[in-house]
Amino acid sequence: MQIKLSNLSFKYNKKAPFVLNNVSYTFNTGSIYALQGKNGAGKTTLGKLILGLLKPTKGEIYFDDTNAIKISAGKRADSIGYLFQNPDLQLFASTVLEELTFPFELKKELTDEKKNEISTLLEKFHLAGFEKRFPLAMSGGEKQRLALATIMSRNVDFLILDEPTSSIDSKGQSFITSFINDFVGAGGGAIVISHNDEFLSNLQNVTNLNLDGGTIYEKKN
Amino acid sequence: MKKRIDPRVKLLFIILLTTLAVLAKDVIYMSIILVVGIVINLCLKTDILYAIKRLRHFLSILIFIAIVQSLSIKGGRVLIPIGNTALLSTKGLQFSLEFLLRMSIIVVSGLIATSTDGREMIDGLLKLHMPYELAFMTSISLRFIPVFSEEFKTRLNAISMRGIDIKKLSLPKKIRVYAYLISPTISGCIMRSEVLAKSMQVRGFRAHPKRTMLRELKMGILDYTLVLISLLIAAAFLAGMYKHGILVTF
Ligand SMILES: Nc1ncnc2c1ncn2[C@@H]1O[C@H](COP(=O)(O)OP(=O)(O)O)[C@@H](O)[C@H]1O
Ligand SMILES: [Mg+2]
Repeated sequence: MQIKLSNLSFKYNKKAPFVLNNVSYTFNTGSIYALQGKNGAGKTTLGKLILGLLKPTKGEIYFDDTNAIKISAGKRADSIGYLFQNPDLQLFASTVLEELTFPFELKKELTDEKKNEISTLLEKFHLAGFEKRFPLAMSGGEKQRLALATIMSRNVDFLILDEPTSSIDSKGQSFITSFINDFVGAGGGAIVISHNDEFLSNLQNVTNLNLDGGTIYEKKN
Repeated sequence: MKKRIDPRVKLLFIILLTTLAVLAKDVIYMSIILVVGIVINLCLKTDILYAIKRLRHFLSILIFIAIVQSLSIKGGRVLIPIGNTALLSTKGLQFSLEFLLRMSIIVVSGLIATSTDGREMIDGLLKLHMPYELAFMTSISLRFIPVFSEEFKTRLNAISMRGIDIKKLSLPKKIRVYAYLISPTISGCIMRSEVLAKSMQVRGFRAHPKRTMLRELKMGILDYTLVLISLLIAAAFLAGMYKHGILVTF
């Protein structure tokens, strides 16, 4: 899959300055993109545009050859997963198991096959035995793994991770490092917003990007 | 410096408008009150369109309630019949219109408060002899309305990032999704308010019994004139409603 930004510009309202200014860039699966930039450079805004939570002021976003403007945010989520900087914001349910099942229950897609998939995911994210726990009362690393499991329950092609190391310890960091490497090794794509150089140095196939002055630059190293 | 209207006058506007909205039970009177509220907002240059955008979820819930009301209350003339029964009757329509107008007036008058910054509002309340702690709480609670709607919106976004298009869900499922959102939204707000409480403590809130203000409020001639005019208009409204027998009786 390809996420293509084409002359993309965005500002929050008429009077505000452009946060993104005429950005053209293509993200491909099979690569990890490390996106850096100062506070307020527009990294989170770019993520929200790709997810369809914000609409471009000018320009377009393409998923492969389809203009994304035609695709609703809920539909985009089937191919793109977003990990919030603060996983508290993406957990709702009263148990870990319900957290994984409720979207499929709502869509009447909770088949036996899906249920099996979910128990495999619980194993993979070291959450087996946690089924009855209250998500918001778990540790930072556990919440992050649960949030990742909810994303992976949809078999997404792309991951966008916003500062994934800000609320976890070193053990959590090595988990997410190998998770991202495996995901991209298996044909996925990842955009990682992070300033943690040690963490980034352990990722493979990384393209370093800098968002500055509303534009994306590739950093050669 | 530009002449600003005293926050006490704005408080009076809010109190009068909401009181009239609660007391009136007539579509025409309430529409006039709503227009007056909108005109006041326009004069104070509050951003009505922005507020409507921010409150659109809340407003759509109100409209939903109004529709349910209009269909469930029967009486008066039948407007839309189905078979032998009425789908919509004049009484249901009147009831739901009154409900919508009443809520709109309350929202619009609440908007008046947004034209004043929190500090000024606290000072205004103090001048009305409200204890400082209460005045502070009042202004903080107003400040928390946008926090609440922001928290709610973030969660709504997070739901759509689960691959759920809320707009496409059936009504019972929509209600289930909203139920999922309520408790994390409230706990998010409580967590934010705990941070606020801690930062107030470390800054020594209530450490000194008597506070002074850098800029003291003073009512000017314009303020007194506005108070007089608005009291007169409100009294005229009440008298008119009493005469026409359209005052809510308890
Ligand atoms: N909801 C919003 N309304 C208005 N301006 C915003 C909003 N969110 C972010 N901004 C502004 O857009 C710019 C980019 O923000 P953001 O994308 O969060 O930056 P980053 O994630 O790189 O730190 C900042 O100047 C910020 O103040
Ligand atoms: Mg950010």
